Amino acid sequence: MAQLLDIITTSAILFAVAAGLLIVFGVMKIINFAHGGFLTVGGYSALAVTKLGLNPWLSLGFAFVIGFVCGMIIERLVVRPLYSRPLDAILATWGLGIIIGQVITLAFGREVQFVQSPVTGAVDLLGASYSQYRLILVAVAIVLAVALGAVLNGTRLGLVTRAVIMNENLARGLGINSGLVRFVTFSLGAGLASLAGALITPLSSVDPNMGVPWLVSAFMLVMVSGVSLVSLAIACLVLGGAQVLVSTYGNPVLGGLTIVVLAALVLRLRPQGFARE
Amino acid sequence: MPTGMRSDIRQVLILAAIALVVVAIGPYLLPTYMVNSLIRAFLYASVALTVDILWGYTGILTFGQSAFFGIGAYAAGLIFTHVGFNAGYATLAFFAGVIGAMIVAAIVGWLAFYHGASPLYGSVITLVLPIVVSQILYSGGNFTGSSSGLSGFESFDVTIEAWFWIAGAFLVVVTALAWMFVRSDAGKVLVAIRENEQRCEYVGIDVSRVKILLMVVCAAIAAIAGYAFASVQMVVAPEYAGFVFGTELLIWVALGGRGTLIGPVIGTLVLDVSTSYLSGNLPFVWKLIIGVAFVVVIVALPQGLMPLIRGALSRLRGRRTTKESDGVGVTLVPATEEMFAGLEGAGRHALVAKDVRKHFGSLQVLEGINFSAERGELLSLVGPNGAGKTTLIRCIADGGERSGGTILLNDHDIERLPPYSCVAFGVGRKFQTANVFETLSVTQALRIARTRHKRPSLWRRDPTLELPQAALQVIRATGIDQRLDTQARYLSHGQKQALELAMVLSLEPSVLLLDEPTAGLTKPERTLIGRILVELATGHQLCILLVEHDLDFVREISSRVVVLHQGRIVLDGTVGEVVESELVRTIYAGGAHA
Repeated sequence: MAQLLDIITTSAILFAVAAGLLIVFGVMKIINFAHGGFLTVGGYSALAVTKLGLNPWLSLGFAFVIGFVCGMIIERLVVRPLYSRPLDAILATWGLGIIIGQVITLAFGREVQFVQSPVTGAVDLLGASYSQYRLILVAVAIVLAVALGAVLNGTRLGLVTRAVIMNENLARGLGINSGLVRFVTFSLGAGLASLAGALITPLSSVDPNMGVPWLVSAFMLVMVSGVSLVSLAIACLVLGGAQVLVSTYGNPVLGGLTIVVLAALVLRLRPQGFARE
Repeated sequence: MPTGMRSDIRQVLILAAIALVVVAIGPYLLPTYMVNSLIRAFLYASVALTVDILWGYTGILTFGQSAFFGIGAYAAGLIFTHVGFNAGYATLAFFAGVIGAMIVAAIVGWLAFYHGASPLYGSVITLVLPIVVSQILYSGGNFTGSSSGLSGFESFDVTIEAWFWIAGAFLVVVTALAWMFVRSDAGKVLVAIRENEQRCEYVGIDVSRVKILLMVVCAAIAAIAGYAFASVQMVVAPEYAGFVFGTELLIWVALGGRGTLIGPVIGTLVLDVSTSYLSGNLPFVWKLIIGVAFVVVIVALPQGLMPLIRGALSRLRGRRTTKESDGVGVTLVPATEEMFAGLEGAGRHALVAKDVRKHFGSLQVLEGINFSAERGELLSLVGPNGAGKTTLIRCIADGGERSGGTILLNDHDIERLPPYSCVAFGVGRKFQTANVFETLSVTQALRIARTRHKRPSLWRRDPTLELPQAALQVIRATGIDQRLDTQARYLSHGQKQALELAMVLSLEPSVLLLDEPTAGLTKPERTLIGRILVELATGHQLCILLVEHDLDFVREISSRVVVLHQGRIVLDGTVGEVVESELVRTIYAGGAHA
């Protein structure tokens, strides 16, 4: 039972971490390697909230806003000139990740620090005692998925965004300001990454390089998901589940490799991954 | 006239000799700390060089060269720690590292570079590789030393000065060889792959194989550097095989200048040595500066700092930047024609299509296409937009395209074979829009198209270029023989079309597929192309399949016309029969659902 919960909560965490990257990849067709940096920003936003002695729940909103603002600045300065050079965009955003990591090191020090969790303790669920916070994360991930789905499918901004995803040239020809869509999308992706960073920190700790392992997993998950939130959810469940199983029955190091190796193999055998076509 | 070429090689040898002299006197002039830093930087630079060849020249963005460096290093570390050190074991470790790296590279290449793989997928695989290797090293317990790695093992009894000479000489030799290679005819194949992978496959180059071979050689060089690193530092750690080191290599190459060889070498030397001096005083700020510089260079100066320095130098010397001398002085000579090279000979039919079908999802684009075409025929494929003409051409030139049915080229079933294998059966395809290599000169592009007939040299540029009569004719008739050294991107639209046609003819195809070769051309150019095509069909006995909208043009040159409508052949006959047909008139006038 605990194992099933592990699989569900791990998948939820992966989904939350990868969602921002997926949105940016879907609309802009570029891989944002600063995603790990934004996660770190979120982690340290939570740390700042803890240090100020505020309510830990505030860290979520605070992290989202900080990430969103960072995303706005970076989109203008760095990402915009690279739209037509997707491989260069990977490199430039990786460089941004280094910059973010170093700025954080200078501001907060390089040591590992701990963040106060909004909820502690365990609950009894179907006969197993399980971390309350991890269960809350599942709810958060579901809310996130539903909210993103609602924005994409139910609002005018979502309609415009989907138009840009499907055919940017045509959308531009129809008078859609695709530059603005990209700007909002990148900022939103950064905000979501930062939010995810704040969500995961109570589970472990913060350090200036905390984002890198998450970046790699998120990147591989997005690669196998294409541009759909549904296939991302499936990919998180399948690969995240495999990771939990391998870690429990194999060894943790192999578990850490599960997502990257399986995702690479899935793509080799089925280039569209978990997406339908 | 190979003088340009010879002076080129002489120049490389002189520069290499100067570099070796500098390396030889270095240890006597430099402080010990600097000597130590430079040994490491020399080895890193030779790995950066391989990154430049893969990424800068061939366009494969690789995060994985660190893994091969790590494999070479750990081969030394593991054997010297657990087995012992003597001459025999040292040799064993060397070959274990190099061969191990080559095997891993071959597997990774097979995974990453299959036919139809996206460049992003290749990069994904090169990113997975160092993560996997370093994680395996982390999990190796006492055997690999886990996160602290291995250290204190016995190694070569060689002074620091000697290591400086060995590492320096290794770097100079690798750089000189790489320099000759990238400027050779074979080196241009790499640029062609970077510029236009699809066109490479359609001139018969197995791009995946080239990339895998390149990966294997680059892995071997990185592994040698890693082996030397472990031997001189007497320490190995998982970070040296990791993803972050892989990206660091990319940073050095990007800052130095991708695709310049010298840029990445100098970039690595300067950055790595300054890091070892500055990171003590300014630990985080220095890394921050590197990060900022990297982002700025990628965004604003994608070619890195080398072209800037080169430009400044030549301005100082008061002359304009020397023009790339590539291709200068190449003489065109007629080739010995061998139209059916690699085949048993002409088949009974040049081209046969049996019940060829193609659908995209539920949309049926081609249905029950049956026809055959013979040598000497100039068969025009006409029909309104969306009739499936281009799709049919695609299905003939690439076995992976059609959904069902059979295509025979010179009696060979193309099965599911990729385009480069279809080229071997005698097909040559010219695309609808001119599809050439933008930064290669006319002669270079034509030589790429001859790769299948004449394997390009790995270290020199051939002063002659053998071309079949038909290709020479097109070049001369369209006047691009006057612009042999011009890069394709500076040619006019019509000249690009002519260049692509000449490239396809250089394949000596027996079945020629032309998709609107006259689109966008002027009237005189069209007439000229038309004359050449007739001459190819009658004189050279080619089987030509021509997609064309201009019915007047079709009428003038075709020997037979096939009308395609809504994915089916509705008429197949002589020019007269088709032109007189009521059906064709209604199809073109619209509203025909006969």
